[in-house]
Amino acid sequence: MTTYILRRLGMALVVILVVLTMSFFMVRLMPGNPMDALAAQLRAQGGLTEQDIQNRLNAVYGVTPTAPVWQQYLTYIGNAFRGDLGVPITNPGTTVVAIIAEALPWTIIVVAFALIISFVIGVAIGAAMAAFQNTWFAKVTTFFVSVLSAIPNYLVAIILLYFFTGVWQIFPSGGAYGVDVTPGFNAEYLKSVAWHAVLPIAATVITSFGGWALAMKGSAISVLGAEYVRAAESRGLSPRRITQSYIGRNSMLPMITQLALSIGFMFGGSVFIETYFQYPGIGFYLIQSVNQRDYSLMMGCFLLITVSVIIANLLVDLLYPLVDPRIARPATRKKAEVQADKSVPDEGLGAGGTMA
Amino acid sequence: MRFLKDLWRILRGDKGALIGGIIVLLYCLMALIGPWVVPLSNEQDPANAYAGPSWSHPLGTDALGQGVLSQIIVGSRPIMVVGLLAAIITVFIGVTVGLLTGYIGGWFDTLVMRITDIFLTIPGLPLIIVLAAFIQTTNPVVLAIILSITAWAGLARSIRSQAMSLRSSDFIEAAKLQGVPLRNMIFRQLLPNVGPYVAIHFLLAITGAIYAQVGLFLLGIAPISGTNWGIMINLAMAQGALYTTDSALYLFAPMAAIVILQVAFVFFSRALDSVFNPRLRVQ
Repeated sequence: MTTYILRRLGMALVVILVVLTMSFFMVRLMPGNPMDALAAQLRAQGGLTEQDIQNRLNAVYGVTPTAPVWQQYLTYIGNAFRGDLGVPITNPGTTVVAIIAEALPWTIIVVAFALIISFVIGVAIGAAMAAFQNTWFAKVTTFFVSVLSAIPNYLVAIILLYFFTGVWQIFPSGGAYGVDVTPGFNAEYLKSVAWHAVLPIAATVITSFGGWALAMKGSAISVLGAEYVRAAESRGLSPRRITQSYIGRNSMLPMITQLALSIGFMFGGSVFIETYFQYPGIGFYLIQSVNQRDYSLMMGCFLLITVSVIIANLLVDLLYPLVDPRIARPATRKKAEVQADKSVPDEGLGAGGTMA
Repeated sequence: MRFLKDLWRILRGDKGALIGGIIVLLYCLMALIGPWVVPLSNEQDPANAYAGPSWSHPLGTDALGQGVLSQIIVGSRPIMVVGLLAAIITVFIGVTVGLLTGYIGGWFDTLVMRITDIFLTIPGLPLIIVLAAFIQTTNPVVLAIILSITAWAGLARSIRSQAMSLRSSDFIEAAKLQGVPLRNMIFRQLLPNVGPYVAIHFLLAITGAIYAQVGLFLLGIAPISGTNWGIMINLAMAQGALYTTDSALYLFAPMAAIVILQVAFVFFSRALDSVFNPRLRVQ
């Protein structure tokens, strides 16, 4: 168990390091890179000494441009691990970390609620489809669920915006809470927050519960045909016991594996959702900084999205042994892993463009 | 031949898949010959802006008086081409990595799979957005490479697990005894056995790439030049299509074009699934 946890922790650190390295090289070493571009721009403005320019670059990107590349790299990594991601170009009065710290909770709220709601709805519908397969219910549901899961989430967001903020004006079209409430732990504020989160969560749930339903259906049907289920039936176990401990638990295994994968997709999709609903989460700032060519803020957002996904994955990984104890034992780990790879159903993966 | 016969039999039985297949075929035709058939003039005709549906413009016109339907047809080609290229790249890398690691095993497998896991963990869309923002490309091949930057990893993992179970089968043992070279082993012996799985993933990879690609144009991250569905929606939104009914068609027509194509792909891929998985047919 300890080795398992250490392995996962080590892997998480490695991925963070890789992403940091990638972002360093993109900002610093690409031809026509943002750092040189900013230097050229400051020089063109005139009135600044070379020293001022270096100081400014140092503030924005946290590295000294004249130092050797390896030294810049080490400084960059060191700063990042100390929580210093530089200063946004467009807003030098604050820091990248300050903006992100304000934005991240909103993203986590929307992603977490959307994920839990669509997972629960999807797994319930999928289980029902598997239990009543070959009935009209299963056929009709499969059809609707497949259609919904194939629709890109940003298009659903546009449709929701069109009707609920444009035509009928039921929900607010932007922000995380109204201007007339004071942030804090009071009913007014919480109500406003919930009201503003409805559309972003709805857009995500509408496009993602279908994938879960199809995946659960596939998984449950394959378990239904398994020999141990037939064995349990012939032993005369009660139907309730069979559905709960033999079918239910085993068909949930691939769902949990997919949960880890889908967290990344959810954070990715939230970029569109937040931008369209002008919801001040981290995806919103990512797109805003891209459009304003604010590369330090952009890389900060990208890093934090990645780190959030890694931490969420780590949580799923650490909880996974509770569902599948084999994974934490060296002797059975390989087998369980291979099985998990195989049993990720194709249908759930590609639908709705979740591959990306 | 056998494959086509099977496919036809399944499609006849599964109306959804049949319609999906036909729609995919029509879209391909549209992308292939549409731009030659439908004229898209650069001439602007502001007098004719936001016209309703008419004989010459069945879906009305946009803010510049250009036909919406002809833009949809012309705009299908860039989307389909990049989607196809990205799927080819994704599937090629995913299959090669999966088969090699699954067949060779050992430290090579461990090393490559660790790298694959990194790509699997990094959220794909934010990485695509950041790369597209840095590279600012209008080249379809470069855009396709960006779109497939992480998509191959999931495929590689599932192909690997299939290759691992194939490795111990008799025909692979036999081929090994004959001293078949690695290239032959991977592409002649193993590949045909995972072919069906690859075919389905190829279709799903296209839908994934189209999703991400349209998203990039929608948010204005990829350079806005030429005509495609994403750019149309982007322009419609920028012109305030949400709050005027004038340009509703200009906004909703490209959205419908995307949704119909994505749904058709998913339904068609299900038919392929049953062609290759006889077990599913019995159920």
